[in-house]
Amino acid sequence: MPAALDAIVSELGEADRQERIELLIDFAKNLPPLPDRLAEHKDAAHRVEASPSPVFLFVELEDDRVAIHADAPIEAPTVRGFVAILVEGLSGASVEEILQVRDNLIENIGLPEILGMLRVRGLTGVLRRLKAEVTRAVMARASAGPAPGTQPTV
Amino acid sequence: MGEPYVHPEVLVSADWVEQHRNDPKVRIVESDEDVLLYDMGHIPGAVKIDWQGDLQDQIVRDYINAEKFAEICSRSGIANDTTVVFYGDKSNWWACYAFWAFKLFGHKDCRVMNGGRKLWIDQNRPLSTEVPQYPHTQYKVEGGHEAEIRVFRDVVLEHSRAGKPLLDVRSPKEFTGEKLHMEDYPQEGSLRGGHIPGAVSVPWSRAVNDDGTFKSTEELKAIYEGEVGLKSTDDVIAYCRIGERSSLTWFVLTYLLGYPKVRNYDGSWCEWGNLVRVPIAKGA
Repeated sequence: MPAALDAIVSELGEADRQERIELLIDFAKNLPPLPDRLAEHKDAAHRVEASPSPVFLFVELEDDRVAIHADAPIEAPTVRGFVAILVEGLSGASVEEILQVRDNLIENIGLPEILGMLRVRGLTGVLRRLKAEVTRAVMARASAGPAPGTQPTV
Repeated sequence: MGEPYVHPEVLVSADWVEQHRNDPKVRIVESDEDVLLYDMGHIPGAVKIDWQGDLQDQIVRDYINAEKFAEICSRSGIANDTTVVFYGDKSNWWACYAFWAFKLFGHKDCRVMNGGRKLWIDQNRPLSTEVPQYPHTQYKVEGGHEAEIRVFRDVVLEHSRAGKPLLDVRSPKEFTGEKLHMEDYPQEGSLRGGHIPGAVSVPWSRAVNDDGTFKSTEELKAIYEGEVGLKSTDDVIAYCRIGERSSLTWFVLTYLLGYPKVRNYDGSWCEWGNLVRVPIAKGA
């Protein structure tokens, strides 16, 4: 697990219920705004379908590192907080590290306890979509040919 | 103003709430879909009651028992004669659900703040993150109204067979069977899609305006009486997926239009869509 995500898991894992609620609200409040170049692409193609609130995910590859940008409404702090955790915990991680994040991340950061089981289901969809987007970005790059500076295989 | 609601006293305005929020006889209760909203800021003095964590039994699929309900009221500073005003996100749909649950236990004076959380915030009214503490009360559950407002599957089956009015308040794609949950919500929970035979599709959200307030009597009558053909004397059952959206429709028909016999089938599609051998209809 990337160190940044590991630190978040430990912090939330050690927090009591009320502290966890406050931490999640802090994450929701501190989600960085989308860069202008992405903000204009909040469209169906970037919207996470399995979420009751509009969540937009943007994944970009920079060499072998993944840059993640996301947006979700402040009126839905639960999903926005979770999205902020993914952005903070996984931005700059490698493709492999992101694909290895398991769905039980949601349990590991203690969300079922504060949200109830019914409410965490939508969050699993956000994590899955993130992994799917990373895979898609890798495939797109592969089909576009070898990255600059790499030796083509014969 | 046009024709008044039949029971206008159950709906209070944000102004009324601001004037009464320090009234010891009034308790403001926030009930939301997103459980973090209360902690981000709520009407000063409001307490939080969560439909899932507080009002539902955590083992059996049912509401809490009378003893547990009395405990929640006691710790929230709600006495038997307290005026309880519910408000929340999503056009008050969870607020109506909590209202309905309070009526299951027979709480007398329940109201809904028109416009809910969104309108309060849009009007720049005060918010607080302080969780208030109230002296505990000696709440005593005085017999509920479950038989009048809640209905179980066997009765729904008879109701469907008898061709009595059934309102499906889910989204159109859930009604036709194309989706098992609202668009964009995780598609899980029932094995079959469709609706209860004889049900008419009237999505819950048609009863509210964009700002979260309820539509006028004329507008509501145009939908439920003009389009659907209901009469105020009808025996009506409303359902959705788990009974939350239909509690808003139940509220509208019972209090705003004054229908005396409306029941909520809280088993709803999550039960019906999983039952073996019950009839199901698909398509529009």
